[in-house]
Amino acid sequence: MRNLWRLLAFDLAAPALILAALAGIGVVLDWPTWWVSVASMLGLLVVQGVLVNLYLLRRDGVSVGTDDDAPGLRLAVAGVAAGAAVAAALVAHTHWTVADRTFEADRAAVVSVATEVAEATATFSPAEPTAGIERAAALMVPGSATAFRDNFGRSTADLAKRRITAQAQTVSAGLESLAPDGATAVVVMRTSQTAPGKSASRAVVGLRLSLQPSAEGWRVVDIAPLQRVDG
Amino acid sequence: MPSDDQTDPDADTTGADPAEPGPMFSRFGIASAVLAVLAVAAVVCGGLAWSRHSAAEAARSHQSDVLQVAAQWANTLVNMNAENVEASLATLRDGTVGELNTDFEAVLGPFRDVVQKVKAATTGQIDAVAIESVRRDDGPAPEPALPDGLAERTESVIVVANATSQNAAGKPQARSWLLRLEVAEVDGQLLISRLEPLR
Repeated sequence: MRNLWRLLAFDLAAPALILAALAGIGVVLDWPTWWVSVASMLGLLVVQGVLVNLYLLRRDGVSVGTDDDAPGLRLAVAGVAAGAAVAAALVAHTHWTVADRTFEADRAAVVSVATEVAEATATFSPAEPTAGIERAAALMVPGSATAFRDNFGRSTADLAKRRITAQAQTVSAGLESLAPDGATAVVVMRTSQTAPGKSASRAVVGLRLSLQPSAEGWRVVDIAPLQRVDG
Repeated sequence: MPSDDQTDPDADTTGADPAEPGPMFSRFGIASAVLAVLAVAAVVCGGLAWSRHSAAEAARSHQSDVLQVAAQWANTLVNMNAENVEASLATLRDGTVGELNTDFEAVLGPFRDVVQKVKAATTGQIDAVAIESVRRDDGPAPEPALPDGLAERTESVIVVANATSQNAAGKPQARSWLLRLEVAEVDGQLLISRLEPLR
C-alpha cells in the first residue's frame, strides 16, 4: 500500500505536475517562442525520465518512488515538482493578478486626473486668475502644460478685468480606452459663467482627454471638445 | 503529493541504533511532505489567480459588448430621418427593456413627430462612448430602471454624438447629443433600460 502511494506520488503525480506547470506558464505567457523551446526541452526530459523509470520498474520491480535506497532522489523529484508549481503560481501572479490590479488602478487614476483637469480648465476666479490654469497644468505633461499656459494665460487678464467667474462641475466621466502607453477619458461637465450685471450662462460640455503615463502618474497630453455645437 | 519514507528504515538518517525503532518521520519524509504542501499551496494560488483573471477578462469583455450595444442603439437614434423613422423606432424599441420599453412612445414618440414634421435629412455619428465611473448628479439618486433581480448586471454608458440635419429649406443644423444610457443584461441579452440626456 505504501509503495502504491509512493508510485502514484513520485512516479506519476510529480512529473504530471511538472508538465502541467510548464504548460501553465506557457498559457500565462501566451506561448512566446522562447518558452515553447524551453518548455519542449524540459517537457521532453520529464517524459524521458518517466519512460526510463517505468522501464526500470518493469525490469527491476523498483522505481524512483518505491526505491528504499534512494530517499534523496525522491526528495529531489518532490523539490523539482514543487519548484515548478511555485514558478507557475508566481508567473500567474505577476502576469495576471498584478496586471489586472494595475489595469483597475490605472482606470481609476486616468478618470480621476481627467476629471480634475477638465474642471480646472473651466474654472476661473478674478481673485486668483491663474489658479485654475496652474492646477490643470500641474497634471499635464510638460510640453502640453507650456502650450496650455501660453494659450489660456493671455485671456486671464481680460477675464479678470471683466470680473468674470467661471465654474465647472463634473456630471459624468468614464474611461474610453486604456493601453500601457496611453489612455483617453470622456468628461461631461456642467459649466456656469457669471459676470457683474449679467445673468449666469450655463452649458453642458463634453471633453475627451488624452493621457500618458509618467513617473508622477497619468498626465494629460491633449484636451479636445466633443461637441460641434452646444447641446 | 503525499510524504514518503514515513516508516522507511533505510531513509532514517538520525544515526539511532538499528535495533531501536526509528522515528515515525525521517528527515527526507518531512522535507518531502513540506514540499508537497508547498506544491499544493502553489497549485491553489495558481488556480485562484486563473479564476480571478478569468473573471476580470469576462468583465472587460462584457463592458466592451456593452459599449458596442450602446453605440449601435445611439447610432440608430441620431440617424433618424423622415424616411426611416418608423423602422428606426421599431429597432430602438426592440433594444429596450423595462420602463423605457413600456413608456417608449411617451419617451421617443415626440422625436417621431419632430422628424416627420421638419422632414430633415439627418446624418449623425457617435464620437465617444465610455463606461461611466464617475457620477455626480444633483438631487436624489434615480429609482432603479428595472425591478430587482430582472437584470443580471447593469452598466451606465456615456455617449457623445453629433448630428447634422438638413431641412426642406436646405439649411444645415448641427446638434450634439450627450447621453447616459443604462445597459442591462436580461436573459443573456444586452438591452437599454434607461435613456437620460446629460444636462
